[in-house]
Amino acid sequence: MNRLRRFFRTPEAIAGANTLALLIVMALAAPLLFPGDPQAIAGPALLPPFQDWSLPLGTDRLGRDVLAELFHGARTSLAVGLAAAAAALLIGAVVGTLAGFAGGLIDEALMRITDAFQTVPSFLLALAFVSIVGPSLGVVVAAIALGAWTGPARVARAEVLSIRERDYVAGARVIGMQPMEIAFREVLPNALPPVLALSSVIVAAAILTEAALSFLGLGDPNRVTWGGMIAEGRAVLRTAPFLSIVPGIALVLTVLGVYLAGEGVVESSAVRRSLS
Amino acid sequence: MTTLLSIRDLAVRYRGDGLAALKGISLDVEAGERLAIIGESGSGKSTLALVIAGLLAWGAKIDGCIDWFLPTDADARGSKDRQASAINSSTPRLGRDIGFIFQDPSSSLDPVMPVGRQIAEVARAHLGIGWQDAFAIAKSLLERVRLPDPDAILRAYPHQLSGGQRQRVAIAAAIAAGPKLLIADEATSALDTIVQAEIVALIRRLVAEDGMTLLFISHDIALAATLADRIAVLRHGELIDLGETNQILDAPRHVYTRALLDAHLGLDAAPLLDRRGAQS
Amino acid sequence: MTVLAVSDLTKRYRRGGKPFAAVEAVSFEIGQAQTLALAGPSGSGKSTIARLVLRLLEPDAGRIEFEGADFLALSGAALRARRAKLQMVFQDPLAAFNPRATVARVLDDPLRIHGIASHTERPHRIAALLERVGLDAGLAQRAIHEISGGQRQRVAIARAIATRPSLIVLDEAVSALDVSVRGRILELLLDLQSQERIAYLFISHDLGVIRAVAHRVVILDAGRIVESGDARAVIADPQSAIGKALVAATPRLNRNRP
Repeated sequence: MNRLRRFFRTPEAIAGANTLALLIVMALAAPLLFPGDPQAIAGPALLPPFQDWSLPLGTDRLGRDVLAELFHGARTSLAVGLAAAAAALLIGAVVGTLAGFAGGLIDEALMRITDAFQTVPSFLLALAFVSIVGPSLGVVVAAIALGAWTGPARVARAEVLSIRERDYVAGARVIGMQPMEIAFREVLPNALPPVLALSSVIVAAAILTEAALSFLGLGDPNRVTWGGMIAEGRAVLRTAPFLSIVPGIALVLTVLGVYLAGEGVVESSAVRRSLS
Repeated sequence: MTTLLSIRDLAVRYRGDGLAALKGISLDVEAGERLAIIGESGSGKSTLALVIAGLLAWGAKIDGCIDWFLPTDADARGSKDRQASAINSSTPRLGRDIGFIFQDPSSSLDPVMPVGRQIAEVARAHLGIGWQDAFAIAKSLLERVRLPDPDAILRAYPHQLSGGQRQRVAIAAAIAAGPKLLIADEATSALDTIVQAEIVALIRRLVAEDGMTLLFISHDIALAATLADRIAVLRHGELIDLGETNQILDAPRHVYTRALLDAHLGLDAAPLLDRRGAQS
Repeated sequence: MTVLAVSDLTKRYRRGGKPFAAVEAVSFEIGQAQTLALAGPSGSGKSTIARLVLRLLEPDAGRIEFEGADFLALSGAALRARRAKLQMVFQDPLAAFNPRATVARVLDDPLRIHGIASHTERPHRIAALLERVGLDAGLAQRAIHEISGGQRQRVAIARAIATRPSLIVLDEAVSALDVSVRGRILELLLDLQSQERIAYLFISHDLGVIRAVAHRVVILDAGRIVESGDARAVIADPQSAIGKALVAATPRLNRNRP
């Protein structure tokens, strides 16, 4: 409770939380407000915004409702962003904990694999992965996570290296606890806070990567995505710029909201730490 | 004896838990005395040290007053006119008027700055002198705290020194500006017995040489008794006993003081093993 | 009966490229229900010896015999099983426990790992352990960070005795406690020793405490044993330079009261 109050003390946290709340409401409300296929034709093609109040943001080249697409696109962006970030954090935390706790050869091997993944630009990795396996929501999530787990892995490893030397880990060994139980029950939960602090950056990056993949036509073809909408609008950028601008603004606001909310969480937990 | 500072009805409450860290403390510290403040964890002894040093500004609510009677420059020049100059209630400056030694020297020293520069900085900031003079002062201070090879130590970083050496450097920095009051807050608790005895001897000598007043904050009544003229005993934020060291040791007024003395395991006490009889 | 026999124990590190011995050819024995104290200034190797004896560190040379068997020969599951008999209490009771743990979980772990009590039986065992160390059984549900330092150290002792060990290593186990709490913890340790026949390897820099509870003392300097013998005799008349310095540095209460 206290923590929540502290969180809402900073203006950036309030702005970020409101933006995210709006986004989540959009995503949840999409099937209620716009039932049916958002990719179905709803009116005349290239209707500009604010002309027809049944189609407030106008229509695209094929006459699809831009507002409906925007709402349904929020679902994809959020789902992919959160799923990819969760997967990246999970993989990173497990790999980092194993490397830091085991040390020696296992650490060497795992960290060289991490290096290998880090030297390839994560977007290229995602691009290659999706091109080979084929675009679908699950593959896009996996492709993004593949390029994003290295950061959490490094942070987790560094934290585990310091926790490993603490008395309570020695204490766990003295009572005969198995190494795997020590690593995942005693060490990992205490190494998580700095890893979770990365989550806002990773979610934001995942949303952008998803948009970029969709822009290149490598998103799930059966779903509306903001990146796909921008790509659609590109052909008529001069005559109907709103088709690219509207999803672009949505993307910017989402990423900004995630960043600000994440910043608020970090700040409120920092205040908490300095008070205790 | 003249009074250096006078504490009246001091109460401190930390924001957050709302518990009183100190309540109703009234205490006079005489100029030139060595006063030990004794207490267990949670007694408020460190809070008292921090309040006196003016280090408690944030997150704490302070009631009551602390009056300072710092000799002014006129005093220092030997003015007879005490009426005009003796009372100077302006707040003292940490570093200039108060030297503070913390328990853990590795957290009070800057890890990425040579120790000579850290000491010189104090002298330069408070004495209005240049770096060259300040470094000369730093070097002589390192000699005074009995560190071997002061030239080498001037250029050393804290991590290159042992715990005892770091505490000596911290003491040198604390006295660099010639403070009237030296506060040692558990300054020897992190050190082993032998180094602890050396640091206590060093503090005793420096305080005598410079005519400083000493506040020695400790949980160890036996250690404090080796150094202090007077002992104040704190418990749960209250001052429960205060007296000359001999009186506190030989005729403690408060039952808690007596319990603290009895709990001391000295080299002359009957071992617990014996007190229990040969039951095993 | 000898519980622990250590001979020629050696541990070397490299510091700035030069090898230096943290522990050099240290030998000692501890009998059943006996307390052997290790004393010495910081850096004398006391804590390193504790960690070597517990196999938290591996020695470079030497033997450790625990209850008549080669303790260094054990590894893996056999070593973990043997650990039940050789326990430890740390200096800082807050650092010695997982910061997220509750008292119940801390005491549940050794009972579970060594199969001492079934799942349904364990809460009763935990309550009995808490009472054994003078704590209220209701404390079990509290988080470790919510209880006082003295209570925490009692929980640490309860965890150490949960597996009915024959030796407990106490690494500065009372140094961080208030003096009034310290006396009661020492009393508890002596009670447990006389009732359960536990031997203690008692590490401390405080000769006053050592003299109060230890039968024998070993004085260390720079990783070597410089003096050993009956605790009271050594402290009354130390022969080594470090022994003399430790005795001289121990604060005394010069009370004139009869």
